[in-house]
Amino acid sequence: MSDTTVEPSATPEPDVVVPAGYDDGQDHIGLPHHTTTGLSNTKLAMWLFLGSECLLFGGLISTYMLYRNRQGDAIGPDQLWDIPFTSATSFILLMSSLTMVLAVSAAKRKDERGTRLWLTVTALLGGLFLAGQVYEFTVFYREGLGYTTSLFSSSFYTLTGFHGVHVAVGIIMLLSLVGMLAKGRILGDKAETVEMVGLYWHFVDVVWIVIFTLVYLIPA
Amino acid sequence: MAIIERPTETPALAGAGGAVVTPSSSYGYFRRPVQTTGWKSWAFTVDHKKIGIMYGVVAMLFFFVGGFEALLIRAQLAQADGTILSADKYNQMFTMHATTMVFLFVMPLASAFANYMMPLQIGARDVAFPRLNALSLWTFVFGGIFINTSWILGGAADGGWFMYAPNSSVPFSPTHGVDFWVLGLLMTGIASQVGAVNLIVTALNMRAPGMTLMKMPIFTWMALVVQFLLLFAIPVITVALFLLLFQRNFDATFFSVADGADPLLWQHLFWLFGHPEVYIIVLPAFGIISEVLPTFSRKPLFGYPFVVFSGAAIGLVGFGVWAHHMFAAGLGPISVAVFSVATMAIAVPTGVKIINWTLTMWGGKLWFSTAMLFAIGLIVQFTIGGLSGVTHAVAPSDTQQTDTYYIVAHFHYVIFGGGVLGLFAGIYYWWPKVFGKMLNEKWGRWNFWLMIIGMNLTFGPMHIIGLQGQPRRMYVWTENRAGEGFFNLGFWNLVSSIGSLVLGIGAVLFLVNVWVSRKNPPAPADPWDARSLEWITTSPPKEHNFDRIPTVHALDEFFHRKYEDVGVDGQHDYKKVRTGEEIIAMEEANAESHIHMPSPSYWPIILAFGMLIIAYGVIYSVLMLAAGAAIAVLALFGWALEPPTADDSEFDPPSSDGGQPSKELAHV
Amino acid sequence: MSNSPLKRHPLRSASTFKHMSRRTRVGLVAGLGLLVAGCAEDAAQDTWDPAGPNAQDIHNLQWPVFLIAGVVGVIVLTFVAIIIVKFRDRGQAIPEQTHGKPALEIGLTILPALILIGVAIPTVGTIMALNETDDTECIINVTGQQWWWEIDYAQQDGCGGIAEPIVTSGQMIIPIDTPVLVRGTSRDVIHSWWIPRLNGKKDMVPGRVHAVRLQADEPGIYAGQCTEFCGLSHANMRMEVVALTPEDFETWKAQQLAPYESPAAGTLAATGEATFIAQCSRCHQVNGLEDAAGELVISRPDLQVYSGAAPNLTTLMTRNTFAGASWDLLTDECRADVWESDPDTFGEKYLAGVSAECLNSVQLREWLRNAPAMKPMYADPAQLDETDGLVRGMPNLALSEDQIDELVAYLLERK
Repeated sequence: MSDTTVEPSATPEPDVVVPAGYDDGQDHIGLPHHTTTGLSNTKLAMWLFLGSECLLFGGLISTYMLYRNRQGDAIGPDQLWDIPFTSATSFILLMSSLTMVLAVSAAKRKDERGTRLWLTVTALLGGLFLAGQVYEFTVFYREGLGYTTSLFSSSFYTLTGFHGVHVAVGIIMLLSLVGMLAKGRILGDKAETVEMVGLYWHFVDVVWIVIFTLVYLIPA
Repeated sequence: MAIIERPTETPALAGAGGAVVTPSSSYGYFRRPVQTTGWKSWAFTVDHKKIGIMYGVVAMLFFFVGGFEALLIRAQLAQADGTILSADKYNQMFTMHATTMVFLFVMPLASAFANYMMPLQIGARDVAFPRLNALSLWTFVFGGIFINTSWILGGAADGGWFMYAPNSSVPFSPTHGVDFWVLGLLMTGIASQVGAVNLIVTALNMRAPGMTLMKMPIFTWMALVVQFLLLFAIPVITVALFLLLFQRNFDATFFSVADGADPLLWQHLFWLFGHPEVYIIVLPAFGIISEVLPTFSRKPLFGYPFVVFSGAAIGLVGFGVWAHHMFAAGLGPISVAVFSVATMAIAVPTGVKIINWTLTMWGGKLWFSTAMLFAIGLIVQFTIGGLSGVTHAVAPSDTQQTDTYYIVAHFHYVIFGGGVLGLFAGIYYWWPKVFGKMLNEKWGRWNFWLMIIGMNLTFGPMHIIGLQGQPRRMYVWTENRAGEGFFNLGFWNLVSSIGSLVLGIGAVLFLVNVWVSRKNPPAPADPWDARSLEWITTSPPKEHNFDRIPTVHALDEFFHRKYEDVGVDGQHDYKKVRTGEEIIAMEEANAESHIHMPSPSYWPIILAFGMLIIAYGVIYSVLMLAAGAAIAVLALFGWALEPPTADDSEFDPPSSDGGQPSKELAHV
Repeated sequence: MSNSPLKRHPLRSASTFKHMSRRTRVGLVAGLGLLVAGCAEDAAQDTWDPAGPNAQDIHNLQWPVFLIAGVVGVIVLTFVAIIIVKFRDRGQAIPEQTHGKPALEIGLTILPALILIGVAIPTVGTIMALNETDDTECIINVTGQQWWWEIDYAQQDGCGGIAEPIVTSGQMIIPIDTPVLVRGTSRDVIHSWWIPRLNGKKDMVPGRVHAVRLQADEPGIYAGQCTEFCGLSHANMRMEVVALTPEDFETWKAQQLAPYESPAAGTLAATGEATFIAQCSRCHQVNGLEDAAGELVISRPDLQVYSGAAPNLTTLMTRNTFAGASWDLLTDECRADVWESDPDTFGEKYLAGVSAECLNSVQLREWLRNAPAMKPMYADPAQLDETDGLVRGMPNLALSEDQIDELVAYLLERK
């Protein structure tokens, strides 16, 4: 990424007496990825972003937990959940985290074929998960759970919908990476971009595990 | 001298269809903008200083918009049964006054300072993500304009800035005002969120060599705490805003009591954001006066670690006191007791700050410049606001005071006294740094005194009015409940309204000052005998900030480069061994070569513009929404494919070191 | 009523002097420049003038806190003033670059912490005491609605025994020296119940029931106001608590439950009854009212009003304010006579209700002529798409002047 390029000045030192220690500005030459914390800027930024995302999902999950039993006379979770099916799609999403790890490691090894393969597989698995979610929503809708049916339905669709959008954004990023691969811009030293997308992808997975547990597994 | 390579001046738009293919345009039809003058140099800039100035200018614009709204409110309330505004317009007016002042004035003005000063104070050449910085700016600007266009598109939001459910639902607020408010705040929220990530990374990662966290200038510290508050508070209000948006536009049921919804959900989400918001408003000002007071007292900040830690403590505890806005909302007595005590606890670190400021001045050599006057004004006014705050940390008394003018008085002493006065101190203090000219001190004094007198006349009587039982947010008050004694509502409402005029004139004097100061001669390099890093460069700073990145050895680095203690036997005697000019000249003489600055970009403003169109689309038409989304997607792709610095071949002549960006730059 | 605030001067009348000196005494203690002390004829909603034990509990807590805050404030500001004078730049040398004295700072951190602990302990005690509900002897329900309060007394042994439910609006009648529990909710948005001289405020939230204690020491009218912003006419949503001696309270209950009497045939009021049935009874209930066919007239405000209810007018003229307690049913003179009477004669005057001589017919007529012009209510049909045409508040009924005359005559007998 960013290399330090500060060069010693060719200008002769001025007459002003420079106090000891005040004239360095060179001791950091040659340190790659020099930042104060040692963590790269993008990585730090991604961690911070994910930290705030926790609060976003925290708010949505709290809303759902508050309203999970408030479906009135309308259809409720007990009549809707198809745990085996959702477990299967959850497993698929989990597996995509594994393939993401493989993609990152391939990118670091400058293995273009491997990177392309694993990025594509990750995107495909993500797509499969999304397809499962769309299917699930369709089934629920046909069973009578519209977005405005009850507090439960509004908060359920909002929470899982927000997560689905995050997965979709992740898939777009993965496909963009595949596109950038052709130009050789994300391999080896530049593999950090893949790593960043990976961080995001793992985060989205972890959030799903929390949602799956709280929404589907814990009985209302 | 430093050498700044920049792209050659070429027409911004290359011919379509690939007629002109250069390395940097190979990803699309656009070449990078390269103008260094004219409006394009501002619209497409990624320079944190230009962005900071634009933040400041737009914020000040909104200050006068919000101030005008306040004057209308006070005109309406000057007498019983006022008729200047209808009930409907009055409700819109106080909603927009608060929204404007909080989200479009104080927060962005604080962002202006953080943007401009933080990189300079930590010895960096720019922020970590310059293009994201531009995105923050334009998203905020468009968001602010968007909210205010509701005035001419059927009426502004009328539910109060706290927008309690279910009064914010469509049947109770049938115009699009609330939709404008929600979407506009989502946009300014994005701006704050992106800015927070950017500035945190900047402060943590891009400090000059030797600048440990405990040598970081106090303003940067407070700005850093604020960015963390934003980072964790904005997502909470984002959730609330989305729920309200879906409620109003997609018939969701989050706040429909008939379906079993709990209206208190909104209050918890709102105040979980809303209380940290108070500290988001005041901490930057605290940071500013913690710079101004030492400079004009010629002493270091007393108890710097205490001020830092109390700032961080305020930030942390600030997340645990939100329910004190809800003492009358019907929480159980246990919750009320817990939040009551937690609220008192937060008074301790706040008190620490006041103590440290006064002890900074103690034993000093005080120079009462306008900036210093504003800083002392802050101590005095904020002390009053803080103490009235303690009176309603006591939950039972709060049930008498909440939603009355007493609270209005309290938070104006806190936000105006503790926030705005500090920001004005910053304006006067850093004006020569930013514009290379001094502001007129005589007009500055008038500006200060009229504002102080005006604010005390306006908000002081509100203590009385409130304790006499006049609630907030009423478009009229009635004579037959006004009382007749010394504390009658009629007299004090009138005083308050007259005070608001004085305050308004005081604020306008600032503009007068800017006008009369426009032709001032260049300011000295170190007009205030200042102490921190931002002064170790020319005023205004060069595009690359520092000719040589300074190495930091002490908290008040600049002071210690200028002064040496030549006292003996434990006696102190500080001698000025070199002037600021000499130090800056020394830096120039040792300039680093080949400093690459990030290049301007079209994409941030285009992306922000796309969001603006999306926002109108949500209200008016799906087609418009799709068009906005298309613009945004285009901008995102353009952004992703554009390298942060122009390609080597665009430099003229190509730089010798292969065009590697310098260490401050990152690939976003 | 409309004299300009500037013409007033703070001279105190002799009758308020006793009151004044008590306040001054408290004021001197709490004083030190605090602006709230010692006032004559305070505003009706003065928060520093408790008239019952609950408000007194709050007051006992708040004045010492104001005192402490005032003292701390004066100390800090004096300190700042001293510094400004003492350390101004007189050409002295650059001061020692001291970075602080940790011991001093720790001390100055602990000191405010100790003060606050001292404040916190009684605070928690008072919070708990004010939340007691099991010692109350009378339960009254309030329901907020844009922009008025409905007040109803369910059948109970409390309140000296309520045999049949009583429904009224705007003015809540309580017996003195009796701990009353107000249970409240709302039919639309959040409102807040606040009678400053009797207790702090409590939000009344749709879908929830919140309770607040009230108790008055002396007969009289205690003004209050909705304090949670509740939309367009928030400013016009007021209420009063009227405290009566237990005997007068019994009289009041009997008044409320007295059987309906039709106006004498042939009078203007009798025509008014028909007009009322034709124009008003869709929303406004008058208990016992029968139509020409002898059928009981039952109002259905839920079919007309978005929030679902309208004030019950059975005993309108036993109250002395109307339309969310925002306007007086009494002329200025008669109002002053009732509101400012001393506690001994208050009950009698209040229970007399509104007489023909005392009726403030100007504002009542204005109201009947065009209610939304007086009190903004989104009653404009163009703005009612979102409520399926249901009105929010009283619409303009386009009554003729004759109809208004008849209605005023009819309403005057509702007591």
